[in-house]
Amino acid sequence: MADTMGEPILEVSGLVKHYPLTRGVLLRKQVGAVRAVDGVDFTLAKGETLGIVGESGCGKSTLARLVVNLEKPTAGSITYRGEDITKLSARALKAVRRNIQMVFQDPYTSLNPRMTVGDIVGEPYEIHPDAAPKGDRRRRVRELLDVVGLNPEHVNRYPHQFSGGQRQRIGIARGLALRPEIIVADEPVSALDVSVQAQVVNLMERLQGEFGLSYVVIAHDLSIVRHISDRVAVMYLGRIVETGRDTEIYDHATHPYTQALLSAVPVPDPGAREHRERIILSGDVPSPTAVPSGCRFRPRCWKARERCETEVPALAVPAGLRYAAGPARHDSACLFAQERHEEHAYGPK
Amino acid sequence: MLLEVRDLHVEFRTRDGVARAVNGVSYGVDAGETLAVLGESGSGKSVTAQAIMGILDSPPGRITGGEILFQGRDLLKLKEEQRRRVRGAEMAMIFQDALSALNPVLPVGDQLGEMFVVHRGMSRKDARTKAVELMDRVRIPGAAARVRDYPHQFSGGMRQRIMIAMALALEPALIIADEPTTALDVTVQAQVMDLLAELQRELTMGLVLITHDLGVVADVADRIAVMYAGRIVESAPVHDLYKAPAHPYTRGLLDSIPRLDHKGRELYAIKGLPPSLMDIPPGCAFHPRCTAARDLCRTDVPPLHEVPGERGSACHFWKECLHG
Repeated sequence: MADTMGEPILEVSGLVKHYPLTRGVLLRKQVGAVRAVDGVDFTLAKGETLGIVGESGCGKSTLARLVVNLEKPTAGSITYRGEDITKLSARALKAVRRNIQMVFQDPYTSLNPRMTVGDIVGEPYEIHPDAAPKGDRRRRVRELLDVVGLNPEHVNRYPHQFSGGQRQRIGIARGLALRPEIIVADEPVSALDVSVQAQVVNLMERLQGEFGLSYVVIAHDLSIVRHISDRVAVMYLGRIVETGRDTEIYDHATHPYTQALLSAVPVPDPGAREHRERIILSGDVPSPTAVPSGCRFRPRCWKARERCETEVPALAVPAGLRYAAGPARHDSACLFAQERHEEHAYGPK
Repeated sequence: MLLEVRDLHVEFRTRDGVARAVNGVSYGVDAGETLAVLGESGSGKSVTAQAIMGILDSPPGRITGGEILFQGRDLLKLKEEQRRRVRGAEMAMIFQDALSALNPVLPVGDQLGEMFVVHRGMSRKDARTKAVELMDRVRIPGAAARVRDYPHQFSGGMRQRIMIAMALALEPALIIADEPTTALDVTVQAQVMDLLAELQRELTMGLVLITHDLGVVADVADRIAVMYAGRIVESAPVHDLYKAPAHPYTRGLLDSIPRLDHKGRELYAIKGLPPSLMDIPPGCAFHPRCTAARDLCRTDVPPLHEVPGERGSACHFWKECLHG
């Protein structure tokens, strides 16, 4: 799929979101900042799925909220169809919002418990009345419920009458109501039971084909991200450290963090226990209020040298791999980027 | 056998009716062995563990049948006073969410030390020395300096280490870990799992690992028991189960894992939803979701059939499942 991608419909460039840390009540002084997103670039093509993986605190959820304009960035631009949407007036923004919708992680808290399913799925039409004429809304809502595999007869039920998987379908139906072009999904299946996750993943894939959707899927489950993504970006402490097509990342990772992440994921294959060589990182992810100098992965990296303390590695094809043939040649923000030759490939083959 | 659960039944009486959370569970674990109990939410895996530990919320929870043999004694026949002496000293539990399992207004050193004060009658001072030793043992950097810190001053991974330290304090024979790494990040999860496995080996403890993650199970377990709607539907040595499951539910779970060679294709998905415990289907509880269900499955509850190779399967047609 990735090779037949058309023009980018979304371009994120130099995106930064810092939350100020203040002290004092009357004389509020800024004493620092949480650098949640700290310079992120990516593009999304029509019909494409970009997977963003990373651990908690890496800024992936903030990134999602920036892309759908729930938050204003501190710096940088988000270009949708040639327009920087971070600079739009409230009115122009409303029109754009219609085309970029979000599906949230937790289907238990993201649906209003006092609204019926019909009202939840139809609410976008209240905000964008021109999307569907009033008399037609009921029918559209029923249609949407049907599309996501729910019984249209249940339109008057309340969220608590549905299971987690069904609630996530309601969230997806709401996301689809305005026929958006882009859906940003923040951990869409992680709150669901294992046997239900596959159902929702399949639904998302089917809808992508049916409606020509582009997805930004944020998740920590690497196997699910691999299954649905055309391209993958790995985030660490507010930045993308490595990005490429799925095989480039999963089978030919060159950034030490990606390699550690892949090797740490428990593989559902007991036979892999013996021949897998795992990299166990020491320590935790540093706080985004105190980002290390140079390469931000440096304090946990086993390859770190002096240069890493002073030089910030750019997200580009590393110098050492510029002439490499094949999938090792992709963007990786490491001065000493290298493929790891031990067995580290993820997933049963 | 260090721990043997026999035909355990637990139900919850609520306003809306009786939820049959555990319906005849039997499993055992030996010293030095790791048994993984795999199941989705509502499968009864945690309730079984709570019954073993004697920390079931009752009411509304009630053990309505069965035996829990620990080192030969039936725990269900002990008085609460005797039970309390077993809990913590001979068997201990690690919870998923360390932040809510630890006391937020007590320094971690005091919480660790309390184990020695209560169970071993140590002085506060000696107990604190012990606490530092324990924190060292679970590799918390600068243990001596951090012993007076409060839980919120530690990261998630470090808090989980403190939970492990607390469970290990009195060197119990059995540890029950309920989703010990689910709340942690992948790279930290690997650290904590490794630590737990290492300490278990060192102390030859029995470990019951409760999880929903097939990956975690494959990494650390010796045996696995798969639970569904309050019953064990399959039990087997871990290698055999992944190679050839003998129950359609296990097979479905394994098949729904995304695989490299299936990219771009639809994932296999078990249809439908896990049943409500208030309304467990008659016959085999899995039959409404099973692709191989027949008339017998709708009427007769399958017993846990013996399957060659120290395995068990609660499927009438386990032979077909195993070979197909």
